[in-house]
Amino acid sequence: MNGKIKSLRFFVSSLLLLGSAWVSSAQTLKLPAHEKIVLKNGLTLLLMEKHGVPIVDFAAIVKGGSVADPTGQEGLASVTAGLLRKGTTKRSAQQFAADLDFIGAEFGADASADYSAISSEFLAKDVDKGLDLFSDALLHPAFAQAEVDKLLAQEIDGIKAAKDEAQSVALSYYYGYLFSKHPYGRPGGGDELSLTRIKRDAIAKFYETNYAPGNTILAIAGEFNSEQMRARIEQALGSWTAKPGSLPAVPAPMPVKGRKLLLVDKPDSTQTFFVFGNVGTAENDPDRVAIRVVNTIFGGRFTSQLNEALRVESGLTYGAAAFFDSRKEPGAFAIYSYTKNESTVQAIDLAVQVLGKLHQDGVTAEQLASAKSYIKGQFPPSIETSEQLAKRIAADEFYGLGDDEINKLEERIDAVTPEIAKQVIARHFPEDNLVFMLIGKAAEIGAGVKKYAAQQDSRKISEPGFWPGAK
Amino acid sequence: MNKLRVGLRGLLVITLLATSSVVVLGQNEAQQFPVASKTLKNGMKVLVETDHSIPNIALYIFYKIGSRNEHPGTTGLSHFFEHMMFNGAKKYGPGDLDKAMEANGASNNAYTTENVTVYQDWFPRSALDLIFDIEADRIQYLSFDPKKIASEREVVASERRTSVDANNGGILDEQLKATSFIAHPYQWPVIGWMSDIEHWTIDDLKHHFEMGYAPNNATMVVVGDVTPEEIFQLCEKYIEPIPQHAPPPPVTTVEPEQMGERRLIVHKPAELPLLMIGYHVPQTNSPDFYALNVLRTVLVQGESSRMYQRLVDQDQIALDVSASQAPAFDPTLTVFAAQPKQGVDPQKCEAAMYDELDKVKKTPISDVELEKAKNIRLVEFYHQMRTINGRGNTIGTYEVFFGDYHKLFDAAKNYAAVSKEDVQRVAQKYFGANNRTVATLIPDNAEPGSAKQ
Repeated sequence: MNGKIKSLRFFVSSLLLLGSAWVSSAQTLKLPAHEKIVLKNGLTLLLMEKHGVPIVDFAAIVKGGSVADPTGQEGLASVTAGLLRKGTTKRSAQQFAADLDFIGAEFGADASADYSAISSEFLAKDVDKGLDLFSDALLHPAFAQAEVDKLLAQEIDGIKAAKDEAQSVALSYYYGYLFSKHPYGRPGGGDELSLTRIKRDAIAKFYETNYAPGNTILAIAGEFNSEQMRARIEQALGSWTAKPGSLPAVPAPMPVKGRKLLLVDKPDSTQTFFVFGNVGTAENDPDRVAIRVVNTIFGGRFTSQLNEALRVESGLTYGAAAFFDSRKEPGAFAIYSYTKNESTVQAIDLAVQVLGKLHQDGVTAEQLASAKSYIKGQFPPSIETSEQLAKRIAADEFYGLGDDEINKLEERIDAVTPEIAKQVIARHFPEDNLVFMLIGKAAEIGAGVKKYAAQQDSRKISEPGFWPGAK
Repeated sequence: MNKLRVGLRGLLVITLLATSSVVVLGQNEAQQFPVASKTLKNGMKVLVETDHSIPNIALYIFYKIGSRNEHPGTTGLSHFFEHMMFNGAKKYGPGDLDKAMEANGASNNAYTTENVTVYQDWFPRSALDLIFDIEADRIQYLSFDPKKIASEREVVASERRTSVDANNGGILDEQLKATSFIAHPYQWPVIGWMSDIEHWTIDDLKHHFEMGYAPNNATMVVVGDVTPEEIFQLCEKYIEPIPQHAPPPPVTTVEPEQMGERRLIVHKPAELPLLMIGYHVPQTNSPDFYALNVLRTVLVQGESSRMYQRLVDQDQIALDVSASQAPAFDPTLTVFAAQPKQGVDPQKCEAAMYDELDKVKKTPISDVELEKAKNIRLVEFYHQMRTINGRGNTIGTYEVFFGDYHKLFDAAKNYAAVSKEDVQRVAQKYFGANNRTVATLIPDNAEPGSAKQ
């Protein structure tokens, strides 16, 4: 049991936007040199040599994530990605696993809301074998019926297992309730019912529609020579000629007006896990750096206002935090914590007060200076490895963010003033319009939490699905 | 990594380096990561490795004190103490430590296991002096404010509710250890029993501090944008003046040989059952460590592993299988775990796992499997060593658990020496029925109030 990783999984999405580059001298943040090549078939190739550790990392982004799932078949993008390694036209699933494991390589594929992501890591000396496995999975998946059945059955049980651990499903419920019918409300991994509706044909069709070189960004970082790597990639992927279909348009989700509260009943719960907030910001929001600075003060570090109030000063919880899960369109803003059943109302009241105080008092110059220093000091290790770098430049390319995202980060951080912070708080941090999601023992906490919203909804954790559309 | 732990300090990493931390490498790799070493006059050992690729530093301090140094009634004290190390000393009072560090671009965390309590600082070069000032302050002058103790007790209770109450794996793991060990302190949970969390006293804390936090009971590892010379100088100024004193008394209790299978069942509301099987195995610095590591890799690591192929892929009775063996000073457990599919009797998974164990006992593993296991170790080595943080933790873990960080670079030799027959021998020696404890979680979803046992 690695307790740390489990509890932290919850925060992962929020922190993707905290990634970055490094300082070579005291003041200049610089992304290591890299080049961008568009192959004749339309594939965007990003190459970044990084010498020292004999490892190569591949990170591919294929446009079309869970936003491309048909209604009622939530999880399709995720299952499609998961099946890439489960047998190809030349390897069985077992053979693929044997070849991959023999060289100690890693391979991962999953879908987020905006895109599908396929990654692999192996030793530099195994680059030919590694690339062969990677391109085999990406270009030639077989989607054998037996493997489809196997994976779907596992995914369904996986969701049930996750529901045994409230923390691991809190965001799925919150997003479903917050975004409602908008595609960002879909559970990316599907739910117990939607997965039963997914058929092999739909998987093959999803693959044909979305997996095409013109839809793909491939970033490679690590120990290699760019010229040679480029030639290798052209040979392995140059003949990939599939044409992408069109992606469904995703409108910007509208913030929820007023207040509503969903209570998910988990009768054996000794703690209440709560999340509240509203629609947040898009990945390319012009205020993104100022938001990051303000949220560091509010809920993004150990001495944040939230953690000080709920943990350090009152001992109500082991942790309290806030994050913006930014996406191509505005994603979620969320305040998150947990506390024992008896102190549920006390903890939520306090978190709401801390949010109110942020609006009333803004942030001080001293707090700003501390947060700026913290972000800058913690930033280099977030792009230390070739894996972090490959994923980072692939995502920046997808979201249309240039190298300045990193190279000008310090400058942009320094430019945030108390006045700008004040505007950012008013513009991006919700105040009265709040969506609440709680997982806990309804019999014990239900009456107390009625005061937070006129609209009250409830469901049992054992009930399939996460979102209103799944009922 | 550290960004992810906002507000979550102090989580237990019970099976830290569970199946990793062991590597195959030769002289080249050793030269690639040159470590400078010095023992201070007060007995603290300091290891430094220079890496200028980012302007940051990872600093680890390993104290050789953990839940194995505790007693019934005060279980969880080491972990609670870890929390208190952030709650104020002489120069940096309550709350000052975190505020000063974060305002200077630094972050921190810590973890406690059965064997050690480890403090971690991650910071830019500019914060180097501050970090030494803070570490020296809290090692010498920790304060015990009754109000802080009361509040932190609640924090730890919340941590326990999350990592145990709300986590089936946490519950079962705790029960498994409590049943596998009847004499040795590995029987109680690192986080402590809830009633002990509620009852330990300020005097218990003071005693623990005096016992465990001697410089001669600690190892410091510094990796990153520094030179050994400047770290040794800082140590001379800040750390060396701290007087040494007696380390914790040795743990003399030896777990008696298990003479028959033990079984336990947990009934609780759950969607899916859960299975864990623990076998007594020797401590980390035992010669059989490497063969056991190869065996676990062959059995559970990767989708081509034997138990994954059998239970997940072929029989389709489980969602996942795993095996772990935490670094330990004393004889410990190898724990196999399976997540059965819904409705599958865990005993079916159990039988399939025993069948796979029997095969490796009867017939040696193949040459390909042996080579695969060694290749996986090599990649894992680089995976850990690719960050300054990973190196800080790995170098320290080897120094503390193997008694010498050089063992990290000797692993090649030790692995090359593992034969198929060795793997077969350790399978036969340790993975027998009389040496195991089987823990099963059975979903009990009867409505509250209805009659049930």
